[in-house]
Amino acid sequence: MVSQEIEIAGLNKSFGQGAAAFQALRDIDLTIASGEFFTLLGPSGCGKTTLLRIIAGFEQPSAGTLRINGRDVTGLGPNKRPVNTVFQSYALFPHMSLADNIGFGLKMQGKPRAEIRATVAEMLQLVRMEAMADRRPSEISGGQQQRVALARALAPRPRVLLLDEPLSALDLKLRKEMQSELKRLQSETGITFVFVTHDQEEALTMSDRIAVMSAGHILQLGAPQEIYNTPVNRFVADFIGDTNFLKLRVKAVEGGAAVLELPGGKTAQASLPEGMAPTTGALVTAVIRPEQAEAAAPGTGDLQATVESATFFGTDTHLHLTLADAQGFVLRRQNRPGQPAPAPQSRLGLALAPGALRVLKD
Amino acid sequence: MRPAVAEGRYSITRLPGFGLIAVLTFVMLYLPIIILVVYSFNSGVSQSRWEGFSLQWYQAAFNNAQVRDVSLRSLWLALAAASIATVLATLAALGTTRVGRFPGQTMIYALINQPLMVPEIVTGIALLIFVAAVKVQTGYTGMGYLVAAHTAFCIPFAYLPIRARLETLDPALESAAADLYASPVQAFRYVTLPLMVPGILAGFMLGFVISLDTVVITEFVKSAGQDTLPTYMLGQLRRAVTPEMNAIATLFLALSLVIVTAFFLITRTRGR
Ligand SMILES: Nc1ncnc2c1ncn2[C@@H]1O[C@H](COP(=O)(O)OP(=O)(O)O)[C@@H](O)[C@H]1O
Ligand SMILES: [Mg+2]
Repeated sequence: MVSQEIEIAGLNKSFGQGAAAFQALRDIDLTIASGEFFTLLGPSGCGKTTLLRIIAGFEQPSAGTLRINGRDVTGLGPNKRPVNTVFQSYALFPHMSLADNIGFGLKMQGKPRAEIRATVAEMLQLVRMEAMADRRPSEISGGQQQRVALARALAPRPRVLLLDEPLSALDLKLRKEMQSELKRLQSETGITFVFVTHDQEEALTMSDRIAVMSAGHILQLGAPQEIYNTPVNRFVADFIGDTNFLKLRVKAVEGGAAVLELPGGKTAQASLPEGMAPTTGALVTAVIRPEQAEAAAPGTGDLQATVESATFFGTDTHLHLTLADAQGFVLRRQNRPGQPAPAPQSRLGLALAPGALRVLKD
Repeated sequence: MRPAVAEGRYSITRLPGFGLIAVLTFVMLYLPIIILVVYSFNSGVSQSRWEGFSLQWYQAAFNNAQVRDVSLRSLWLALAAASIATVLATLAALGTTRVGRFPGQTMIYALINQPLMVPEIVTGIALLIFVAAVKVQTGYTGMGYLVAAHTAFCIPFAYLPIRARLETLDPALESAAADLYASPVQAFRYVTLPLMVPGILAGFMLGFVISLDTVVITEFVKSAGQDTLPTYMLGQLRRAVTPEMNAIATLFLALSLVIVTAFFLITRTRGR
């Protein structure tokens, strides 16, 4: 059995009192396994930082329990928890050398000097900053400060590392580099990572599991594939990746699937979410990802469409289409040599990948 | 005439009379001081006729036992008052910035800064009445009154730079220390306090200069034989103005300049 590192049950957090009270977290239930790369994903203001601060011990929950490695830590201060944080602003101590920054946690734990020196050297090597041990934080670049903040948080070998949007201040290239660096550090140390981001692509590429949050709730919890392929509601489908939302009429319901009437008269099977049984003739929202349809010759395929415009993205091109009933549709087509983008106002057919169309709860 | 507004930016240097007013201001500020310093080196007694260079007034000042006595008193009074005020101001700054907002915070802030807002003469008279009553009750007439009065007077001057320094400190630094297993005392000892040092030094120096300089408070609180340098000089000036006063004032000026320069250097280089 996989051991649970963090167990959160019935957690609520309100700021302020009475009429001015603001509920930042609502009924959070969450378990994070040992050694997992776990991501909290959601738009700004949804409560990600608040949840992280509660795990670290900077805030106390208004209700609910929090266990770390099986032990109830509610009421323990941050200095008593086997958890370290990489702060969004890095928060390196400006009056200490990088080596002293990295050794700070061990020093506070009362570790012997020789051990501190050895661990600091090891950490400097781990984040490839050996040459700069004696510099001050103000004498290194933002990306380097990021690495030192990581090394400082990893040095005491915490059970859990909390990272609050650690890459948001870096430029794109450095961000990509640090993403793989973080993955490497996590697999080398085996420490549980709880990673906060509002960048869905970062979440998808890095995580073992993702919790999608909105307005203090966890809307969906699962592996990246699961969240991308089977979003539970419109918010998740919209927030993760690009999605076509189509308003379609139900023609029949058979078991866990519905037969939907497509613009232009054809029909298609769409899976139904659990517990949803629309009546025949009802209008439902169906979703399909832009890459899960293919262009076909005009008159063939499931749908007929008119090209409005094309946007070139390098690896692929997004075709903005209008369907027979004037609904919009975006088709993502991989670019190949000698394949020009279709001209505006040209017509084409669309073949939907089997199983790609899904009915969503609103 | 060229317009006062150039390239969309308002420029005060273009206003008519700017240069004249600036020059007059600097003349008013520095000419009297320059004259004072120059005549401290005069070999005659005159404050208006130059009779040749001499250090005799400095010699006279150094040989004057009373001057030595009041200077020493001024220095140790300033040292004691600034030290106590700095400790109290540091605590006050921590108490008003390192806690959440609490009811009455603005009032506490105003109360701490009382000497900045109440006219010095009012504080002086209040202290006179208060100290006189305590003297009658206790019979104690030592320097304690002056130390206490100067300390209270110095607190806001020490408080302001310390508080300013604390407010620029990223609160995440203290969170980071706690996160890295520092107890509250350790977080203060290893992170907050070292980062406060420039503010504390600046506060101390400001308090020191203020205590050295204050006349009104001392005049009202002191007992017989407790003159400080400024009150002694004031007393002497009532009788006769000799260039010995110029020499003492020049030395006093030099000391203040050294302290103020140190203050600027500390706040500039250590402030980063
Ligand atoms: N100390 C606080 N007092 C009052 N409201 C707060 C406090 N901290 C956070 N909030 C509110 O809680 C909500 C969630 O904040 P946060 O957890 O920082 O969001 P995120 O990290 O997802 O952007 C926000 O609306 C924020 O204004
Ligand atoms: Mg945040």
